[in-house]
Amino acid sequence: MSFLLESFKQAVNLILNLDRELLQIIFLSLKVSGTALLLAIVIGVPLGTFVGLKRFVGREVVITILNTFMGLPPVVVGLFLYLMLSRSGPLGFLTLLYTPTAMIIAQIILAFPIVAALTHSAVVRVPPIIKLASKSLGATSFQTTFTVIKEARYGIMAAVIAALGRVMAEVGAILIVGGNIAGYTRVMTTTIAMETDKGNFELAMALGIVLLLISLIINFCMFLIQKKGVREAQQWG
Amino acid sequence: MKKFLGILFIILIFASMAFSAEKTILISTTTSVENSGLLSYILPHFEKKTGIKVYVVARGTGAAIEMGKRGDADLVFVHAKELELEALKQGYFINRHDVCYNDFIVVGPKNDPAGIKGLKRASEAFKKIANSGSLFVSRADKSGTHMKELKLWEFAGINPKEQSWYLEAGQGMEKTLRISNEKQAYTLTDRGTWLAVKHRLEDLTLLFEGDPILFNQYGVMAVNPQRHKHVRYKEAMQLINWLISKEGQSLIGSFKDKNGNQLFIPNAK
Amino acid sequence: MGVRLNVSNIYKYYNGKPLFENCSCSFDRSGVYILMGPNGSGKSTFLRICALLENPDRGEINYFDGNRALPKDINLMRRITLLFPEVGVFNTTVFKNVAYGLKIRGFKNNKIKEKVEEALQFVGLLHKKEQNALTLSTGETKRMGIARALVLEPEVLFLDEPTASVDWKNTEIIESIIIQIKQRLNSIIIIATHDKEFAMATGDFLLYIRDGRLY
Repeated sequence: MSFLLESFKQAVNLILNLDRELLQIIFLSLKVSGTALLLAIVIGVPLGTFVGLKRFVGREVVITILNTFMGLPPVVVGLFLYLMLSRSGPLGFLTLLYTPTAMIIAQIILAFPIVAALTHSAVVRVPPIIKLASKSLGATSFQTTFTVIKEARYGIMAAVIAALGRVMAEVGAILIVGGNIAGYTRVMTTTIAMETDKGNFELAMALGIVLLLISLIINFCMFLIQKKGVREAQQWG
Repeated sequence: MKKFLGILFIILIFASMAFSAEKTILISTTTSVENSGLLSYILPHFEKKTGIKVYVVARGTGAAIEMGKRGDADLVFVHAKELELEALKQGYFINRHDVCYNDFIVVGPKNDPAGIKGLKRASEAFKKIANSGSLFVSRADKSGTHMKELKLWEFAGINPKEQSWYLEAGQGMEKTLRISNEKQAYTLTDRGTWLAVKHRLEDLTLLFEGDPILFNQYGVMAVNPQRHKHVRYKEAMQLINWLISKEGQSLIGSFKDKNGNQLFIPNAK
Repeated sequence: MGVRLNVSNIYKYYNGKPLFENCSCSFDRSGVYILMGPNGSGKSTFLRICALLENPDRGEINYFDGNRALPKDINLMRRITLLFPEVGVFNTTVFKNVAYGLKIRGFKNNKIKEKVEEALQFVGLLHKKEQNALTLSTGETKRMGIARALVLEPEVLFLDEPTASVDWKNTEIIESIIIQIKQRLNSIIIIATHDKEFAMATGDFLLYIRDGRLY
């Protein structure tokens, strides 16, 4: 117990005196996950909206695939991407293995199904009358779609935050394709894994606390957004 | 919503800033080397001298060699001489050099139920552990340490697989040691990791050391540029030559862990 | 002025049963047309077909002496509009709800402000313009819906049950709003309703749907 307390004290100390290396690690984490999230939104929101609004052959299959991919094990994604990006793999010529870009790609693969699947369910929850009202007010089909997305905004924001939570906490995939190279592809989660291996529990815990704080902030935002969404939904009824 | 998008946009701008374009090489090594801190101690000297930035990726020995074979690294720095020589023979690598060594030790519960303390030969110690039925934790991850352990069982004439006292962890050294500590079991470890974490492992103690068979030779070799045209062979050779040079060797010898123990003994020829 | 809306030989089937068969009529004079009929007689469907929000199974709709009207003709769609019984409120302020149609038509912000405020004044909701539209009462929601349609100055305006589930006080307000619209806009206004008093107060012409026929 005293050991735990001691580690915790040292961890807090490390956070209070953030050194450059630690800051760089935190910054890279945010950069990789933030970029991945942004691109996941660019792919996921239109995809989820399309699946939610259009009726086409194979739609059920796409929804099932998206829901399954929401739970993809990161290690599997990492391994798959490693084999693709390896110099001996089909995409080896891109020389992306062990770069932040490879980590971003891995996290996009993990994040976009969440964004798409949750966007889909947010969009189908928008009452059909919204689409009709928008059409009858003279909206083009593009404008109508945009209006439906806007009405689904709380659900979509919750989707984005859920995806952010997943990528920030993820270690399996980025460890494999990023390589945890010091000063280049080392992020919070891979550092925690490594420092734990080394027995450097203080540093691992310091980063763990930072990560936890970030998660806490993210989840708090999610709570606020959902509360607001629920309140407005009640007013609707 | 607009603010939210704004923040994301800023992140994108940061992310799109070009990642550094200096000359780099990638060395794949074992987790034990990376975790010892040796490379982050010596490599800055090399980088300063040559202007070549060295990226280090740490994996188990098997995976580290595999990385080189696939052309995902420019050179490898590992400690599984037999595997290295085999890969060399297959033409995946060239220019292998011994760099340094450290040794393996056997640690176990303080009361030493198998009675291996004071023995001379490692095979004897392993036999005693097996015969006493005491728990033994194996790395079981194809690492250099794991390879060495399998070799020792072979010498002892014992097949530990499927034995009730033989636990396969599939983990790194530090975790394997922790499991041994919890389970009151014997395990084979490299001295460096043991020295770094032993103060946390109150129920384990060093029980066997000194048999030359336990010496752990580290070697470095370059990925064969004829197999993988893209590798930075020239820069990789610069690093190899530097590691076995007087400067590299003396730096390796002067590296100490945070408790002041020398972990690697340079022995390049 | 020629025929502004022509409905010719419309057929619509619902679950295999005919809702209406071979319905035709044309609208040329401005004023309020009241569409009455029993529940389930297809009043709403008729309005939606006329407003090009639903396709008939057979027959065609023509506007302004033009060819067969199609929903993808956005310029035509922007000359007509329909107010649904449920209105279809966007989750934003009253102001932005009413501004919606103008915004997607690319009006300038100051023009939008002027028109929206005038329309809100007209339906008596100017004081609630910054409120979230989902917080309005049923009667207020209907009035906002009317304002939202009105700012677009439609040449043909469809109102589907504008007074359903609205209290008598709001019904009176809506009544007077419609009478005023009639005087202000030189438009065709087609209202589907159950409310006989409301129909008497506002209507100029009467149409009746029953058993799949239009009278």
